[in-house]
Amino acid sequence: MSRRPRTWPAHVLLTAGALVMVAPFAWQVVVSLQTLPESLRVPPKFTPSWQWSNFADVFRTVPLARQFLNTVVVTTAVTAGQLLLCSLAAYAFARLRFPGRGAVFMLFLAVLMVPAELFIIPRYEIMQGLGWLNTLQALIAPGVFGAFGTFLLRQFFLTLPKELDEAARLDGANPLQIYWHIMLPLVRPGLLALGLLTVMWSWSSLLWPLVVNTDPEMMTLSAGLASLRGQFQTNFPILFAGSVVASLPVIALFVVLQRHLIAGIAFTGSKG
Amino acid sequence: MLSKREWAWGYLLIAPMALGLAVFYLWPIAQTLYLSFTESGVFGGYTWVGTANFAELLGDEEMLGALGNTLLYAVLVLAGVPLSIVVAALLNVPGLRGLSVYRTLYFLPVVTMPAAVGLTWRYLFNGDFGAINHLLGKVGIDGPYWVGDPDFAIYAIAIVGVWSTIGYNAVLFLAGLQGIPRPYYEAASIDGAGRLRQFFRITLPLLTPTTFFVIVITMINALQVFDLVFLMIDLKSPALSGSRTIVYLFFEKGFVQNQRGLAAAIAVLLLGLILVLTAIQFRLQKKWVHYE
Amino acid sequence: MRIRLPLAGLLALAVLAAGCGSSAEPAADGKVTISYAIWDKNDQAGAEKIIAAFQQANPKVTVKLEITPWEQYWTKLQTAASGGTAPDVFWMNSLNVRMYAKGGVIAPFDDAKAAGLPEAVVDGYRHDGKLYGLPHNVSIPALWYDKKIFDAAGVDYPTAGWTWDDVKAAAKKLTDPAKKQFGILAPMWDQGGFYNTMIQAGGHVLSPDGKKSGFDHPASIQGLEFWTGLIQDKLAPVAEIYTDTDPLQLFQSGKYGMYYGGVWFASTYWANPEIRERIDVAPLPKGPAREAVILLGLANAVSAKSEHPAESAAFAEFVSSEQAQKILSDSGGGALSVRPGTQDGWFKAFPSWKLKETYDASMPHGVPYPATLNTAQWQDVQNKLLAEAWSGKRPVAEVAREIAAQMNEILAKE
Repeated sequence: MSRRPRTWPAHVLLTAGALVMVAPFAWQVVVSLQTLPESLRVPPKFTPSWQWSNFADVFRTVPLARQFLNTVVVTTAVTAGQLLLCSLAAYAFARLRFPGRGAVFMLFLAVLMVPAELFIIPRYEIMQGLGWLNTLQALIAPGVFGAFGTFLLRQFFLTLPKELDEAARLDGANPLQIYWHIMLPLVRPGLLALGLLTVMWSWSSLLWPLVVNTDPEMMTLSAGLASLRGQFQTNFPILFAGSVVASLPVIALFVVLQRHLIAGIAFTGSKG
Repeated sequence: MLSKREWAWGYLLIAPMALGLAVFYLWPIAQTLYLSFTESGVFGGYTWVGTANFAELLGDEEMLGALGNTLLYAVLVLAGVPLSIVVAALLNVPGLRGLSVYRTLYFLPVVTMPAAVGLTWRYLFNGDFGAINHLLGKVGIDGPYWVGDPDFAIYAIAIVGVWSTIGYNAVLFLAGLQGIPRPYYEAASIDGAGRLRQFFRITLPLLTPTTFFVIVITMINALQVFDLVFLMIDLKSPALSGSRTIVYLFFEKGFVQNQRGLAAAIAVLLLGLILVLTAIQFRLQKKWVHYE
Repeated sequence: MRIRLPLAGLLALAVLAAGCGSSAEPAADGKVTISYAIWDKNDQAGAEKIIAAFQQANPKVTVKLEITPWEQYWTKLQTAASGGTAPDVFWMNSLNVRMYAKGGVIAPFDDAKAAGLPEAVVDGYRHDGKLYGLPHNVSIPALWYDKKIFDAAGVDYPTAGWTWDDVKAAAKKLTDPAKKQFGILAPMWDQGGFYNTMIQAGGHVLSPDGKKSGFDHPASIQGLEFWTGLIQDKLAPVAEIYTDTDPLQLFQSGKYGMYYGGVWFASTYWANPEIRERIDVAPLPKGPAREAVILLGLANAVSAKSEHPAESAAFAEFVSSEQAQKILSDSGGGALSVRPGTQDGWFKAFPSWKLKETYDASMPHGVPYPATLNTAQWQDVQNKLLAEAWSGKRPVAEVAREIAAQMNEILAKE
């Protein structure tokens, strides 16, 4: 390297941009600790007044604790299901040979192209038929299946050397054993990326939960926030208290595990 | 000797996923196609109406408005893509410290649930109490009622749309940038090309495969925007005429007014729109994407 | 219903499916459970007390309360009704009652059950001459005002004798552009706003037989222009502000002198200690032609598919009885009881305000909230087009005539 490039102009620009990225969150936290009249002040008041009662209010008026638990349960179940089912299918598509493999895989890919709105009405009627409206399994069941996860993990399985299966097979292991004992540990980065992406999507998803669970006790946080909006109109301190509670866990998870999530996303880009 | 058993294993292992996709994806697609040709009764039941739903939608002010709003939103969000390239290029400056801190901050909007993001920005955009108009006022601009005025609402939503995807796209671009071999730059340096010139001569052309991927993904997502609009614009807002998107209309028809047949037709039209626009993108890529 | 982490996707689904029980239970000992669906959380305390009183008088009946927020209430109800599983008794409003009656979802009541309830409210629940809902509360529009702003400008507080001219004159004195302070709020709102003024001017929303729109009537247009005039004269803020911030909350910011709201805002405003002593309420001012106040009451309807029709009807009747109505009043929630003579407890819950005077002055001038079979459909037209007049993009008269034309088309199909 001939000369060391200056990095301060990049720092200035990146910091300015980062401020724009972060300011709305900071502002949300501040307002969640103000009273309603303070939040309506002109010019805006930029300091909190530690109105913790907003948080108490939001927990009292909507079953927020319950919705939080619902979201945790749904997200965990969906993520666990996705990891298991996607990795099974992905392993089969990548490492086993069977007639129709290509055709079935194309069908999986085709599903990936179709916008989610096409699934909603029939799924709603399936749930209605099963008597599953307003239940958590209505949120979990469609979520554990995904063409994207299968596709993503297949890419990871494809990168593993062929000798691995052959050696294991000579030792008398069957494909399920190979999958579990040999392959799965090797695609851990892929599983982690898919897991994090699934947590993120499942935690935030709005349209399906909004449609299928209308009982506040059975809502997830996303739909709960939407109905909180309906209830409190533009009472922002209360709405923001709810928002902060709802978005904090995923933000925390991301800050801790960001390296893996970002690696996963970058991977989808390079293989797209 | 392994082939027959391997077949069986193959089918066994894909069976759970294939079954689930059949029930929750493939069957719904067929069913939605069917429903789009029916009219649903107020209290249940479907009657075959042929292409009446499509005829109604294509002449419907709301549907055409939603189509226009959605396309405008998509164009606006695509116009924000260069910002991500700039962020990625800055993050890629050699010797930059604090990369992971910046990455975390820029990624924050991506991992936050859109419902919370929508509420926050709705407040920031408030015509009277909002911080944005307050800041604009400081430089002498009398800001509009962003989310209350049908002429501004979609722009406000698009600003949020860009803001919340910069981090995601920047990560993709950064991966693309890191894939560009160093020797290209070193050769250019020797030829005396400055950094800006290198950016336009080397970086942008070699980044085109990533750019293409980002554009397609951004477009498909933009055409399906719902969460932000739903949280920023109430069902009864007069600004809805200028901000209602296709999926918003789908939700309104299907689950507020319970006109499921009509909603199914909207979903089918959306599928058609996405397929056509994606096909056009793939056609156009030959003209500008450089594959090594 | 319990959910555990699935060990295997499909296995878990099977477990989940098994864990989801059904709620239909046979009546072994003559005991009966009926469900009661409402949407207003503010009414939960009152409803629970009423249920307790009913169960005491009818030990064999258990009433299960279900609260669904307004946003989801109608979709959920419609879905349930399609599947024949609507709650036994549920809240109904006069906008939707005809659709449900016509669809055979709700069962009619004997007209005599509504004896003693205000006719303007009861009439909203008749379809084809039959009564389909028993009203249990009433919403009365009223004029809220900010005493602090009135005092500062030296203007007398609104009284029961006020007219439109008094409103405009006061609004002029209360407006102070330098302080961004306006005399009045003018949201585009039918129930508490323009429906009242259209009728006060001598016009109407619907013809008496419900077959023709009244929007093109010159007096109706005058009633609409009352509001757009206030905005044009800059006595009220522009239309967009009300979409940005709910006027109910705007009024609490202390920058607006008057607000055509409703007496039912009392519990919301009471919860804000900063404004309790600063604001008060008065009846709606008289129009050029007459006094008129739109009365909209909520009712209880009974599902036509209920397995316990007698008990359900008895419960609905009980909620509108004098005993239950007094319980509702005493709970001091959002809703005002509808049966005359039962409101004292409610008035006492908000002692700072002239709610009783407002109630007494308003009830004699009550007119029913206009509704037909497809109310939602023509209100949609009304709201879309009026938004153009409120924002000043088109003249009121032109917009009103267009509404009338489109509305007449919709009404002709009913």
